[in-house]
Amino acid sequence: MRPFEWIEAASSAEVTAAGATTVADAMVMTNGHRKVSDPTVVKAGGIDLLDLMKEELLQPRRIVNLRGIAGLDKIAGQEGGRLRLGALATVAQLAVDPLVRPYAALADAARNAASPQIRNVATLGGNLLQRPRCWYFRSVHHHCVRKGGETCFAFGGENQYHAIFDHRGCAIVHPSTLATALVAFDARIELTDAAEAKRETALEEFFVLPTRDPHRENDLRAGEIVSAVLLPKLAAGARSAHLKQAEKESFDWPIADVAVVLEADAQGLCRRASVVLGAAAPVPHRARSAGGGAARQAAQ
Amino acid sequence: MSDATTQQEKFPFGIASVSIGEIERRVPPGEAPPLPPNNRLAFIGKSVPRFDARAKVTGASRFTVDVKLPGMLHGRLLRSPHPNARIVSIDTSAAERHPGVRAVHVVTDIVGRAVEQVPETDPPQPNGVRLPRALYAGAPIAAVAAVTPDAAAAALALIKVEYEVLPFVVDLEEARDPNAPVVFRSAVAGSGFAGGVAAGAEVAQQGNVRGPSRIGTRGDVTKGFAEAEVTVEGEYRTQVQTHCCMETHAAVADWHADGLTVYLSTQFTAGVRNELAAAFGLPRNRVRVLVDAMGGGFGSKSGAGTYVRAAIALSRAAGAPVRVVHDRHEEQVDSGNRPATFQRLKIGAHRDGRLSAISLYTYGTAGTATGAGVGNFAQATYECSNFDSEQYDVFINAGPACAMRGPGNTPGAFALEQAVDELAEKLNLDPLALRDRIDASPVRREERRIGAERIGWSRRHTPGADTGTIRRGIGVAQSLWGANVQTNASCEVRLMRDGSVELRSSVQDIGTGIRTVLAQVVAEELGLTPQAITLRIGDTDFPAGPPSYGSRTTASITPPARNAAYKIKQKLLEVAAPKLGVAAGALDLRDGRVFVRAEPARGLSFREAAALLRTDAISAFASRSDDYGGFRRAMGDAALAQNDLGGVQFAQVAVDTETGIIRVERVVAVQDCGRPINPEQIESQVQGGVLMGLSYALYEDRILDRPTGHVLNADLEHYKIAGPRETPEIDVVVLENYQGESATDAYGIAEPANIATAPAIANAVYNAIGVRLRQLPMTPAAVLAALGRAPYGG
Amino acid sequence: MLATSLAASAAVAEENAPLSIGPGAVAISLRVNGVVRTAEVPPHTTLAEALRGSLNLTGTKIGCDRGACSACTVWLDDIPVASCMVLAIDIGDRAVTTIEGLSRGDTLHPVQTAFIAHDAVQCGFCTPGMVMSCAALIARNPNPSLDDVKTAISGHLCRCGTYPHVFAATLAAAKAAKS
Repeated sequence: MRPFEWIEAASSAEVTAAGATTVADAMVMTNGHRKVSDPTVVKAGGIDLLDLMKEELLQPRRIVNLRGIAGLDKIAGQEGGRLRLGALATVAQLAVDPLVRPYAALADAARNAASPQIRNVATLGGNLLQRPRCWYFRSVHHHCVRKGGETCFAFGGENQYHAIFDHRGCAIVHPSTLATALVAFDARIELTDAAEAKRETALEEFFVLPTRDPHRENDLRAGEIVSAVLLPKLAAGARSAHLKQAEKESFDWPIADVAVVLEADAQGLCRRASVVLGAAAPVPHRARSAGGGAARQAAQ
Repeated sequence: MSDATTQQEKFPFGIASVSIGEIERRVPPGEAPPLPPNNRLAFIGKSVPRFDARAKVTGASRFTVDVKLPGMLHGRLLRSPHPNARIVSIDTSAAERHPGVRAVHVVTDIVGRAVEQVPETDPPQPNGVRLPRALYAGAPIAAVAAVTPDAAAAALALIKVEYEVLPFVVDLEEARDPNAPVVFRSAVAGSGFAGGVAAGAEVAQQGNVRGPSRIGTRGDVTKGFAEAEVTVEGEYRTQVQTHCCMETHAAVADWHADGLTVYLSTQFTAGVRNELAAAFGLPRNRVRVLVDAMGGGFGSKSGAGTYVRAAIALSRAAGAPVRVVHDRHEEQVDSGNRPATFQRLKIGAHRDGRLSAISLYTYGTAGTATGAGVGNFAQATYECSNFDSEQYDVFINAGPACAMRGPGNTPGAFALEQAVDELAEKLNLDPLALRDRIDASPVRREERRIGAERIGWSRRHTPGADTGTIRRGIGVAQSLWGANVQTNASCEVRLMRDGSVELRSSVQDIGTGIRTVLAQVVAEELGLTPQAITLRIGDTDFPAGPPSYGSRTTASITPPARNAAYKIKQKLLEVAAPKLGVAAGALDLRDGRVFVRAEPARGLSFREAAALLRTDAISAFASRSDDYGGFRRAMGDAALAQNDLGGVQFAQVAVDTETGIIRVERVVAVQDCGRPINPEQIESQVQGGVLMGLSYALYEDRILDRPTGHVLNADLEHYKIAGPRETPEIDVVVLENYQGESATDAYGIAEPANIATAPAIANAVYNAIGVRLRQLPMTPAAVLAALGRAPYGG
Repeated sequence: MLATSLAASAAVAEENAPLSIGPGAVAISLRVNGVVRTAEVPPHTTLAEALRGSLNLTGTKIGCDRGACSACTVWLDDIPVASCMVLAIDIGDRAVTTIEGLSRGDTLHPVQTAFIAHDAVQCGFCTPGMVMSCAALIARNPNPSLDDVKTAISGHLCRCGTYPHVFAATLAAAKAAKS
């Protein structure tokens, strides 16, 4: 890890004032030129950031620590029945918080992510923004398209853990299993900028396919931080589950994961089914035909 | 052994769970008297708590990575970013000027990989130095020592290396092509041990293919196959497995006025001492190698690799101690591995099961090392007078392999034990019944009997008979490993006048528990408790002990430990005899007392007796004497006992036919190691062997990128190792197998416990789904492909 | 907690930008095993490095340095974390407990005692981290099932394969801690 300067931020305004860029931008190098020189990046739990820095894939000049921003880890119900998940809530918190429990697919995904040690530190915001685990992307020896290079090495290389859908241009899979569950719930993401102005967007639309921009997995802008994720009120009778299938049950990345949210009417018939696949595409992949099919079945 | 000096003694003989008889052996003078079976002993055969456990659970243990010396510098290695390159020039001047840098070293000697016998023809550097080619991505080029790890890392980036990038090949099949890029331009010397049997010295080499060696070939296989009524033939593939020591390779080298001291995470202090003395032109008594706690080796920490020599060179240049510790990436790429193999195995048999011929054709890759063979498993496990083997090494641009837990026999067993399973089915014989006919070993027979009962073999269904999504099956496989002995193995036992006792040897405890075992042996002889014995080991200032590889530590060092303790005992009894007014021969030691055998109440405490010593301390030295029955084979410092080690393992699996996931639910491991000394520690090692085998069977695979030549999973994330949730219920049974071969009659366990697991799982998978998987690892993709449920296999 | 007296580096890029410190060594205080200790470390120093280096608490081991083996597990406010994946400067006032702080004087923690009794130790390199995770488990859950133990150590790698004895030891320790 290269040395860096350290800033404790007390507010999102301070993040912007520090000139923070996104990790994605900080990692792009085209024709030998960095997109951002001497970048400043923000840190929440820091798990993925440390990983990238230890591999010397990311060499920020400065790190702005968000951990000190008060209240950013709160999980609280809102008027209208929405649930607000503060971006600094840890994955471990999401697994056990009673307010999250009704959103079973999310609690499942949180409980089965990474290892207890990582879950205790990793945050919701960091989990959604973590960079892909693609081994070419994570190797300093492979200047891949996602880092500003010309090649996606997964094509013609070792791609057993890569995308089966939407992989034109780059075959990463999105690494977040929380995202799989959250998209299935039609969650929205809240971003805060320098002026403490908030914008909110559907999480599903926040993620970016390589055909739109191969250098980033999401629509985070420089100076913005993820401040919260908002879960819509659960429909009465809704049920959900998240399943992760990995090669190992101990600490392993999924080879496939799926979140299903079923909404039933008073007769117990399934009105709506939301099915989202993880580890399958560069973004959480909504299985529309599966969802449609399920909606015609009775919710069990 | 001359009859004039030897004497005839009677020893317990046989397997305790069957019957123990007696055998007469001629023993050389000075040996401790025959030891009765474990049930008549106080400490040998008891699960005495591990001596260093308290230090390990409190974090007090000192591993090599924990060693801090005053003024210690931090060394790091520069490694090749190219899988094959000639070093045109190297400029270290900027690195040398970097603040905090104290020394820079350019690697000129090749250690660990094979070396071309004809000097490499590359032009020399401007200064006349010839630098070895970088033959794999991650090959060491240079090293820096600096006051902080950061300064060392920063300085590495300042070393300017001009590479001439050369074509490379990292795929086993592609490398066999005569038109493939050539790894070595001329013939290499062979001595690699990664395949369990030393690679032949004088073997043909064409392109990247070196061989064949015809290990074990005997009889006439053509005739044997002509006589065969049933034959089976199959092709098997095994992957590269890496050792993944939790403590990465680590050294702290201190070059000082008196010579050289090296703290090293090693499996063989004495061997490394000799190696380094030769390499640095020092007398052996000026080189000291030490290891206290040691965080795993599994075969990969047997010698002094490039990182050790770099640390020493840097220390010499800087005049300060230098620490070099591999990071995980270096560990996975350049600290050894188990070779990948291809095996074509054909077995011919008579209707009654007797084998008429075995033919084994293999090629494999140890990367840039020799020795990718498959051991002696097919040649030695079952009775068959016609055996033919043809084994080739294939070089690729990858880190050199080295021995890894059960080298050779582990991939060898994966093929043979499946072939025998297949043969049994073809012969309409139970796999255990077939083995009863073709395996002469009474030990394996008993192991099969016990294991079959424990796993519930009688409820095993016919292959593929289970239905449903989750299908279960049971399989069995055997293990075979030579009972290795290091004859060059010594120790000293000291008794002080205050009654304190210590054992000294350079032997190292790499987590196998030899400290505790040696204390048990000495305590038994001296009538003290094991806790009363101080162990001073892991230091070459003590008598040269054996290596901790080849499952030979216990067999090599416990007999001299007992014999040295016996000498101390005799001396002590002689001192005590006048005081008690009897002859020394009438006395014995037990429960911390010297007593008159015929009148046990009469005696002295051990301390009182020790106080009678004329000098402050007495000392007895002993080294490993030959086995009483003689050796099957002696080779330099080592020898092979008459008997073999092994075991029989049974696995119960559940295969999910929708996901392809194999879950191992239960393993029964019935193993033997002569006389067991510490059953609980043995159980720990057997569990570890089973888990490493399970992990090999299902998960582990070093992945080399064919287009770029880099290891893609040089980590513990995508290099997948079985963890807590993959751990099945493991039922360990260890036989007491008395052979009357040495003063302790004890042998090793680590490797035989590893060999049978993968084939037992493979046979269980076949029993579950009726389709045989002949390739490792048995991934979900491979299972689905085998079931015809996926377009391609793993 | 950041020692407030430290001199901030002059690297203030924009107006109103908050003060930055580093990249050189800065003084930090860490409350480790009940004692507040100070260390001079650059901001990129991980907690594992600070513990093993400046504070000389080498019981905490680094196995992979990427959070993949959990050998470096310590407690932050009684919660097990991978100390290789957190920065020392980021610990603040959270209490750090390492393997050296688990026993009370010569009295071992029940998990430590049980690890010895069940031979849940081979080479011992993963052991300190494993002990910390198992001890955290029984503090949180006095009646753990085998499955709970497996979950608690699901991120730990032990190449010697001591898991069966670790399971047995932890279950026994939970029982012993209650009696």
